[in-house]
Amino acid sequence: MAMVMDLCFPSFESFDYTTTTTTSSTDEGCNWSDWSPVVDWNEISDDQEDFQDLIDSMIDENVVFHQSIRTINDDDQVNEEEYNNSSPEYNMAMHDEAGSAEDSKGLRLIHLLMAAAEAMAGRDECRGLARVILVRLKELVSPTDGTNMERLATYFGDALQASLDAGAKGRPAPGAAEHQRADVLAAFQLLQDMSPYVKFGHFTANQAILEAVANDRRVHIVDYDIMEGIQWASLMQALVSRKDGPPAPHLRITAISRSGTGRRSFGTVQETGRRLTAFAASIGQPFSFHQCRLDADETFRPASLKLVRGEALVFNCMLHLPHFSHRAPDSITSFLSGAGTLNPRLITLVEEEMAPPSEGGFVGRFMDLLHHFSTVYDSLEVGFPMQSRARALVERVFLGPRIMESVARIYRGREAEEGCSWGKWLGAVGFRPVSISFANHCQAKLLLGLYNDGYGVEELTTNKLVLGWKSRRLLSASIWTSQDCDL
Amino acid sequence: MFHPKKPSSMTSHERPMCVQGDSGLVLTTDPKPRLRWTVELHERFVDAVTQLGGPDKATPKTIMRVMGVKGLTLYHLKSHLQKFRLGKQPHKDFNDHSMKDGMRASSLDLQRNNASSSGMMGRSMNDGNNAHITDAIRMQIEVNRRLHEQLEVQRHLQLRIEAHGKYMQTILEKACQTVLAGDGSGSYTKSTATAPEFIQTLSFPSLQDLNIYGSSEHLENLHHQNMERESFFPVSDNFLGKKRSVQYTNPSSSKSPVIWADDLRLQELGPTEDQIGPLSIDRGSDIDSVSDIYETKPMLSGGHDKKYDQAKMDRPSPPRRTAAISAGGMQQGRSSPFG
Repeated sequence: MAMVMDLCFPSFESFDYTTTTTTSSTDEGCNWSDWSPVVDWNEISDDQEDFQDLIDSMIDENVVFHQSIRTINDDDQVNEEEYNNSSPEYNMAMHDEAGSAEDSKGLRLIHLLMAAAEAMAGRDECRGLARVILVRLKELVSPTDGTNMERLATYFGDALQASLDAGAKGRPAPGAAEHQRADVLAAFQLLQDMSPYVKFGHFTANQAILEAVANDRRVHIVDYDIMEGIQWASLMQALVSRKDGPPAPHLRITAISRSGTGRRSFGTVQETGRRLTAFAASIGQPFSFHQCRLDADETFRPASLKLVRGEALVFNCMLHLPHFSHRAPDSITSFLSGAGTLNPRLITLVEEEMAPPSEGGFVGRFMDLLHHFSTVYDSLEVGFPMQSRARALVERVFLGPRIMESVARIYRGREAEEGCSWGKWLGAVGFRPVSISFANHCQAKLLLGLYNDGYGVEELTTNKLVLGWKSRRLLSASIWTSQDCDL
Repeated sequence: MFHPKKPSSMTSHERPMCVQGDSGLVLTTDPKPRLRWTVELHERFVDAVTQLGGPDKATPKTIMRVMGVKGLTLYHLKSHLQKFRLGKQPHKDFNDHSMKDGMRASSLDLQRNNASSSGMMGRSMNDGNNAHITDAIRMQIEVNRRLHEQLEVQRHLQLRIEAHGKYMQTILEKACQTVLAGDGSGSYTKSTATAPEFIQTLSFPSLQDLNIYGSSEHLENLHHQNMERESFFPVSDNFLGKKRSVQYTNPSSSKSPVIWADDLRLQELGPTEDQIGPLSIDRGSDIDSVSDIYETKPMLSGGHDKKYDQAKMDRPSPPRRTAAISAGGMQQGRSSPFG
């Protein structure tokens, strides 16, 4: 069952509990009525500490909820938005017992997550409630079995838990521990097979690079996060077999490496370099590989690059591919602005396409994240409904940690981070967009055609292709050039 | 849903269709109403073009946007722009565009009139029946060009996916060797007794994509070496041919479809060349969608009594519980989500 989260919930009648419509606000602590989307706390429970029964009833199948999603701001203004669902399918589903068990459970999980998020966004006193909710949530779900929504709820529940424990003091949430390399590789291969995300990003960027350096003898690519270097395999192949322009230009790749463990270590980058060199040799591509080490603060210094006169300089910035982990925005900023100072021929940027941050504060962003990842889960499931274990592995190795990081990030609540996408930032600081060519767009469409019909690509602006699943945009690839450079 | 924003893409080009009269555009009164490029309209066109940096920089889409005239379609603009460009470059070699004489005639008209006012240019473009023919021809040329380009793209995509897959294979092989060698020193793995087994199962057949386009014999042997807990069957190239109506000219060696099975089986350690595993030759079957490839099919190979779950359990519980979990302390009585 694919759980499509449209945030359109049917409006239910509540049986035993009245719904809260008060907008009273108190300054001195958390008034339960203020934030509960479900019940009128004052009416239900005099002892505010004991919520067990209450939560049980939330989980109870017979109780349906009135939909009002509220957000809390610090000044205690309660905004109430009602999401009305006009889709007949949902109403039918609710009435039809047979098919609705999963749906209703999924909905209940969403409610629990929402309630927990709201609790966490509120005052400190609400945190106890949040913990309780999360415990109950955990009992309902597991990360390997069950529907998409259940597995998703596990990770989000854990993520909330982690953020809760790290506290709002600004201590960064503990990063996901390293998985075994075997797992990582298996999951990576599976991810590529089951979804076009990785290839979309790589191929779009590569095509743009190919077009930009069509007549050059030397190409220098600076890769922000080379990982295993798989992007460059197809680029090399394309360079070797290109018909016009100088055949097989000399390709130089500088990989940015940083201290770290596992996939991010210096060792990995070196290994990647060896592998790329071997591959290039095997197809007859003149190639050389360099590393550019970053200090602990991960600031990129253009001066540390070795440049050669007459080469076409390209900066490649892959962020947010599913198998990547989040990079600090300062680091990215320094990389991109450093790029600007060197007047590169091209900058290729692949990043998550998130909806513009809603005014919902933490809860709004949390729900948006939930929506985003549930779309990703759906996209994997629809393509491969039977291979739940494979999907569970990918989720465990890549998506789960991403969820963890993202929730922690938005919980720490730095507004600036959520502000604009990196693409917009590039436009704002003065890079010029470069149009996506017909061939590039065509390639993307063909690529997606190999996967499921639910994937679609659209050209949002002239220089940006966006990959999405059904109606939700997920990943965008955009191309830029520096202002002084004539393509 | 997504609507690829390429109005000038592969979809059919309309013949010059009727335009709403209330948009301010003038239509001829022929049996087939055509747009008349009046002086004013043409002025606006020229303005838009110059604004965009000249006829070579401007594109029909941008012109349309800049002009902002309701009812003006891209098709109108495309043909008009081409004529305009030709008019501006009297020395251009017409043969490049393999135009018919009719088109050439109207272009020469353009040249002659270029010096004079644009009004005359507008008039000359509407001249005669040549316009019909040249429009049709132009349309055809455009379509052909796009088709050709698309085929090129397809071919390149195929090669690139193959390269991608081959590279991926090298990664897996390397990892495989590293772990089998048992040192684990170079990488950051903690090799356990069962991990090598697991890694073995990783060098499973190349990606589905790779196999769609046909894989070399060598790679197929690699496939056969190990069925991973979920393994692929390469799809016979008939499959895509039927779905996408595209012919991939691949040397069709013995390919067997790989199926993505839900059963988790592990093979014994050690690659065995002749261990074919669960391959069923499914050539020529008309599979309707990509996902069909990955249907669960019964594994034909025998002798696997170890299930994946068990293997996972055998691995010592890694010390890598996320700090979240341990810190939370609430997961005591439940199975760890991280295996």
